Amino acid sequence: MPQTEAEQLDNPVAGHPTLILRSPDFHSITEVVAGPVERRTPIGWWLFFIPSVALLGLLGVAVSWLFWEGIGIWGLNVPVGWAWDITNFVFWVGIGHAGTLISAILFLFRQKWRTSINRSAEAMTIFAVMCAMIFPGIHIGRVWVAYWMFPLPNQMDMWPNFRSPLLWDVFAVSIYGTVSVLFFYVGLIPDLATIRDRAKTGTRKLVYGIFALGWRGSARQWQHYESAYLLLAALATPLVLSVHSIVSMDFAVSLLPGWHTTVFPPYFVAGAIFSGFAMVLTLMVICRKVFRFEHIITLRHFDYMAKIMLVTGSMVGYAYATEFFTAWYSGNPYELYAFLNRAVGPYAWAYWIMVTCNVISPQVFWFKKARTSIPILFVLSIVINIGMWFERFVIIVTSLHRDFLPSSWGYFSPTIWDVACLLGSFGLFFTMFCLFVRFLPMVATAEVKTVLPQADPHWQPGPEREIPKGQINARQVAAAPGDAGARSRWSFQMPLIPRLPKGPYYGILGEFATPADLYHACERVRDAGFTRWDAHSPFPVHGLSRAMGLRRSTLPWIVLVMGLMGAAVGFVLQWWVHASAYPLVISGKPYFAWPATVPITFEVAVLFGALGAVFGMLGLGQLPMHHHPLFRSKVFERVTDDAFFISIESWDPRFDPSATGKLLESLGARSVELLES
Amino acid sequence: MIHERDHVALRPEQATIPPGHPWNRIPVIAGVCALLGAVACAILGAANPKQFFFSWLVSCLFFLSLALGALFFVLIQYAAQGGWGIVLRRIGETTFATLPVMAALFLPVLLGLHDLYSWTVPGAAEHDALLRWKAPYLNVPFFLIRAAVYFGSWSFIAILYYRGSCGQDVTGDPGVSARLRRLAGPAIIVLAVTQTFASIDWIMSLTPHWYSTIFGVYFFAGSFVGFIALLSVVMVAMRRAGLLDTVISAEHLHDIGKLLFGFMAFWAYIAFSQFFLMWYANLPEETIWYKARMEGSWMTVSLFLMAGHFVAPFFYLMGRRVKRKGATLAVGGAWLLAMHFVDLYWQVMPTLHPEGLRPSALDVAALVAVGGCFVAAASWLMRRQALVPLRDPRLAESVAFENV
Repeated sequence: MPQTEAEQLDNPVAGHPTLILRSPDFHSITEVVAGPVERRTPIGWWLFFIPSVALLGLLGVAVSWLFWEGIGIWGLNVPVGWAWDITNFVFWVGIGHAGTLISAILFLFRQKWRTSINRSAEAMTIFAVMCAMIFPGIHIGRVWVAYWMFPLPNQMDMWPNFRSPLLWDVFAVSIYGTVSVLFFYVGLIPDLATIRDRAKTGTRKLVYGIFALGWRGSARQWQHYESAYLLLAALATPLVLSVHSIVSMDFAVSLLPGWHTTVFPPYFVAGAIFSGFAMVLTLMVICRKVFRFEHIITLRHFDYMAKIMLVTGSMVGYAYATEFFTAWYSGNPYELYAFLNRAVGPYAWAYWIMVTCNVISPQVFWFKKARTSIPILFVLSIVINIGMWFERFVIIVTSLHRDFLPSSWGYFSPTIWDVACLLGSFGLFFTMFCLFVRFLPMVATAEVKTVLPQADPHWQPGPEREIPKGQINARQVAAAPGDAGARSRWSFQMPLIPRLPKGPYYGILGEFATPADLYHACERVRDAGFTRWDAHSPFPVHGLSRAMGLRRSTLPWIVLVMGLMGAAVGFVLQWWVHASAYPLVISGKPYFAWPATVPITFEVAVLFGALGAVFGMLGLGQLPMHHHPLFRSKVFERVTDDAFFISIESWDPRFDPSATGKLLESLGARSVELLES
Repeated sequence: MIHERDHVALRPEQATIPPGHPWNRIPVIAGVCALLGAVACAILGAANPKQFFFSWLVSCLFFLSLALGALFFVLIQYAAQGGWGIVLRRIGETTFATLPVMAALFLPVLLGLHDLYSWTVPGAAEHDALLRWKAPYLNVPFFLIRAAVYFGSWSFIAILYYRGSCGQDVTGDPGVSARLRRLAGPAIIVLAVTQTFASIDWIMSLTPHWYSTIFGVYFFAGSFVGFIALLSVVMVAMRRAGLLDTVISAEHLHDIGKLLFGFMAFWAYIAFSQFFLMWYANLPEETIWYKARMEGSWMTVSLFLMAGHFVAPFFYLMGRRVKRKGATLAVGGAWLLAMHFVDLYWQVMPTLHPEGLRPSALDVAALVAVGGCFVAAASWLMRRQALVPLRDPRLAESVAFENV
């Protein structure tokens, strides 16, 4: 009897969990993922898109009115000078953390289940950071001087204060946005190439082709690509920790009770991951339904995400408790008052919403029933995001509304324009997300293919295993090589080889049925002493660079040098401004106090390192290269879908048109083709 | 490698200390060391009991933190269903199985409460409003009850997991793994809470006016790095001694190296967060702790800690080759293990010697005494059991594991 999806999760001692259900083949994954980009827009999409655009319009109105009238249209007052604006900022930045967590940290921990959701989580990160960046820009009311936040040389001879956490924010959030875009784009390149190769219209081919940079899935490109991805993950991991740590420092370096507490950095990071995962879950539940991705985004993915929310929710609960205990333990009456005031003061309602949503509600996830029930997950993911918004509201407003002097106590109530800005930011977020799911592949196709069992170069279709449709049994091909060509969708038969045109040609291209065939063929081609050759595959085949005898990528060195350069630039800039160009005593510290330079030095180092990784990868992989002889081959279009190739270039000293062709044939190539240059 | 899972299994003789192997003598050697250390402590400590108690506290905290780090390591592996590290799990299990021994070794600390913790001195709160405020928490009976609760819960979890895993070697029952996995979540919560309060009680309350909300996380970060450092040294030593040399591969070394690097950076992040926020806000009630550590020779120790616990190992452990070779990884591990001791020493000792760094022979004697007991207990357990969880259902996956 076939198991239900929930039963499949009940694997008492999980070995390798099945991540993708219904064991699809490579081609069907391409079909499913590319489908939403290529098919007609579903009605469901418009149902989300139109309200989102309407909300985006609301944001436009609210922001325009704000610029015209000033921040007085919000409910701000003395002493509550920060309220919904900064709450929304921290809320959105926090949401933006899950994308990089899924992409980078889970990647480093080899959590393969991330492959189904990382693309959309990364996209979500970028859109969340966009939403977040609105608020620091507009909260001062005078957007036309927003450029003062950036360290630009100017006639006023004025420099931003590098010792202000608000400036660290500018660096941290904008660099985080940049690195997220780079990470997202690097991940997209192979999939854009897939869409390019499947394109039916010229415009499509052109547009996707430009952004695919001429990607041809070569093993040498994959090698640098994988190295770049790993390095970006390694850079993004401390970056993601630093961003919300720095956001927390907006509050924590101050002297305000309730804001100044040392646990803030890790506590904010945990909360950010918590809310980010909740948002990913909300979006995935909807997308999975609308685009019918049930077999790619499975209950197992939800199960894991729920567990991460349980962990991070508990961490947030731990931080709430430690803060409360320490507020008492410190013996500082202001500190204790700030916390008691949160729990029983005028904003107690907000505080208890926060505790209920963030600490109590995720405890439901101790039970597998809850972790695998879509309705419970969906409701809780929204509840958690409400709770996390309230957490930021509670932190910001409760500490401000009780100043040290009771005569300057106040109460903040939002106006309609506060609400409009918050709702409008959701409009921006959902509009961008709708556009993303419509025009870009929302699942990392190449990565999902790597988690299929047949992607393993040592995989053999055993008798107990069903051979996936569209895949050809490697043994059959080896047994009947003459028959192999007929099985490929386009027949470029071997007999062509002896009757070659005399003209100059680029080289020879052999197609292989499976990663395993490709892997073994590469070993033999390597042993035959070829040097000018390459292998091509829709996804990085594990260990292929070893089978080809390639040297390790030199990219790590590029990134190291760039990172150190970035650190030097960041450090010297701050030193020069504070100790030399504009010496000023700030908060009783010496002109140059090194601890205060750490955040920006770190951020600039990461920025340079990430740029080094991406441009180094492009340079080493010789991209962009939009024209290449290989693209003349019709069969080669499937290199970004489900076909595996070896290309041997004609200027290899051992190259011989017919002997090399025969070699590839003897290695199990199911079609061999000679390419003109 | 899913298809190899059912075939690869370790033979028990591949994973035990064979008779006549030099490692069989470690318990005796360590026991003798412990005895010599204890005698030295008795002789030297009689003359200078205050120094003895502080030295003993640092040594206890050091080995205790390694055991707690090991407990976290194993519990997280269970909870996250990590497969790659199963061959290393028994080393962790053996380390935390010493927790009941550590409880006994902690008893001398309780004899020296008045020397260690100024708030326990009768009448200390009389002229100190803050101590009067904190008295509901900082009082000797409650302190003792808490210590009993910490050690009780740690020993309980440790024995539960050690027994369960060793029992599985005999029965081969895969249900054990499932049961321990289910318990891992609650156990982690218990451990997180007890460890936080233990660090407040035993380290933070040395400076009873001072407070920091991140302190529990800081202690956790240090203890985890400490255990991973210990693990990397033990792994390499085992391979050198011809134990598990067919089981522990360069892939495992590489992964432990990455964990060491990652958590070393995590420690730096937490340590810097605590320092930075206090330095920036410059509130006297918070800066007292750092002021004591940024004056005189303690400043040298602080800088050394920064360079030695972060900057130098950051560059040293960054490369891939360093992590994949036994000798180089062990050097990094041993260094960080030593730095973890320096970290704890730096946290505790300025209370005794505010005037500056005053190393004492008792520091060494206490380290040898406590460490001797710790090593003797662990190595004695190692002789009794296989060195890997032999019949864990996912052992083969761990043996065959490869880094991407």
